[in-house]
Amino acid sequence: MKDVAVLGVGMHQFGMWSAKSNATMAREAGMEALRDAGLSFRDVQAAYVGYIFAPVMAGVRAMKEFGLTGIPVQHVENASATGSAAFREACLAVAEGRHDVVMVVGFDKMTTLMRQAAAAGPPEEMDGVILPAAFFAMWATRRMHERGTTPAHLARIAAKNWNNGGLNPKSQRQPSETVSADKVLASRMVAWPLTTMMSCPTGDGAVVAIVGRPEIARRLNPGRPVVKVIASTLQSEKYTRGHLFEGPVVGPAQMTIDSSRAVYEEGGLGPEDLDLVQVHDAFAIEELEYYELLGLCREGEAEGAIERGDFELGGRVAVSTDGGLIARGHPGGPTGLAQIWETTLQLRGEAGRRQIEGARVGLCHMMGGGSVCCVHILVRD
Amino acid sequence: MTERHKRMLVAMTPGHFTLPEDPNEPPRLLGTKCEACGEHYYPRRAICAKCLSEKTVQVELGPRGTLYSWTFVHFPMFGSTRAEHVGYGVGQVDLSEGPRVQFPLAGTQEEFRVGQPVQAELETLREEDGGQEVVIVRFRPVVSGR
Repeated sequence: MKDVAVLGVGMHQFGMWSAKSNATMAREAGMEALRDAGLSFRDVQAAYVGYIFAPVMAGVRAMKEFGLTGIPVQHVENASATGSAAFREACLAVAEGRHDVVMVVGFDKMTTLMRQAAAAGPPEEMDGVILPAAFFAMWATRRMHERGTTPAHLARIAAKNWNNGGLNPKSQRQPSETVSADKVLASRMVAWPLTTMMSCPTGDGAVVAIVGRPEIARRLNPGRPVVKVIASTLQSEKYTRGHLFEGPVVGPAQMTIDSSRAVYEEGGLGPEDLDLVQVHDAFAIEELEYYELLGLCREGEAEGAIERGDFELGGRVAVSTDGGLIARGHPGGPTGLAQIWETTLQLRGEAGRRQIEGARVGLCHMMGGGSVCCVHILVRD
Repeated sequence: MTERHKRMLVAMTPGHFTLPEDPNEPPRLLGTKCEACGEHYYPRRAICAKCLSEKTVQVELGPRGTLYSWTFVHFPMFGSTRAEHVGYGVGQVDLSEGPRVQFPLAGTQEEFRVGQPVQAELETLREEDGGQEVVIVRFRPVVSGR
């Protein structure tokens, strides 16, 4: 991907925001992003809006908060990968020369959805009978069988993400003291071997990114590093034996392998060049699997790498630097954009106490409904 | 006629599994076989996901399989009114015909292990007005020698 930069980012902290509407959270995040970019909404030529749970046309309605300027507004939905997929469409629009400045907006109120689900009648599909965490737990049980993984490995990942979240003011989970792996293991069991602290919370939030031509970033913010988007992919699954057609599907391994290969090839680099990585860590087992599937370590070596602290802040390649889905949160639509927000700040050197020294290359990986994979690579120019 | 024969069973997901008249007969899953490449699927589908052929036929699958993976959930089963469903097993089962399926498991965590033979059975989720029982399929570990 050529000549696409992140001009600005803004984020409304994830959390339980029952008194705030999606449109309000989107406006606050959007105005922060415009100020960050040094732009006015008058400069925005198009918008891509992503959410999962709000009613039809909620995107266009939220955009009216910024003013009515007649720009094209397009809705994008791809389950957890919604924000990432909207970001990809905006980047492609800039890369293809259709627009110079495009706004990407992601918002959701998962807390509202949980209340609606509780009020609805009994489920009519098998997907609705079984707790979603169970499907990820089975990934963990299988891994434990094949590789000798222990719950302590999963707890160490979760503790890392909780503690990273504690360094991020926009994180939903804000631990008051350092979280130990023992504390994660001792939290309530959800679905063996996953505990509540190994699982992402329910929450609300909004994130906005503004993408555009790199020279705009250089002109408006001289002296600030320019963050470019050099690779983007969106893939759905190829059929393999053992594919699960019913029930929430945990990301089939091959899709993440294929997606990461595609962005490494497009970006002209490899996993060894990455300084930081964000993944779809809705459950700790996912992050463990993605270490290998993204090539951050070799197959079968994730457990050893965890024990060495390879993926912690200051480690070989830091993963889920902002707390990940487990701590920073996972409202739905804005989640993928939160990864872009974090990576942009890190590559500019503006990530505060969680800053990766000299960060130059970051990868953002999201799964959607276990059935799509969206990956981007961002670099400091 | 036994009491069991008078039960009125209704599948939670019609078209997904059989409801045998004989209470001792395990249910079968309703799937699809591709006549072009031989791949089997659950649930039913019109077009083969592997070779894209439309020459697919409906078949019954199971009731036996082996446990590919499992978990035990420490929350109530959604849609169930039965106290024993406050904690429940879930398994990924490789059916002998090939497809991998996900269903609740009967039994306790100690009984589950990867590679364990399992068999399908019907399980009542709740009783509705008029006495109809809403049933689902679950798999139970097969104890060797039984």
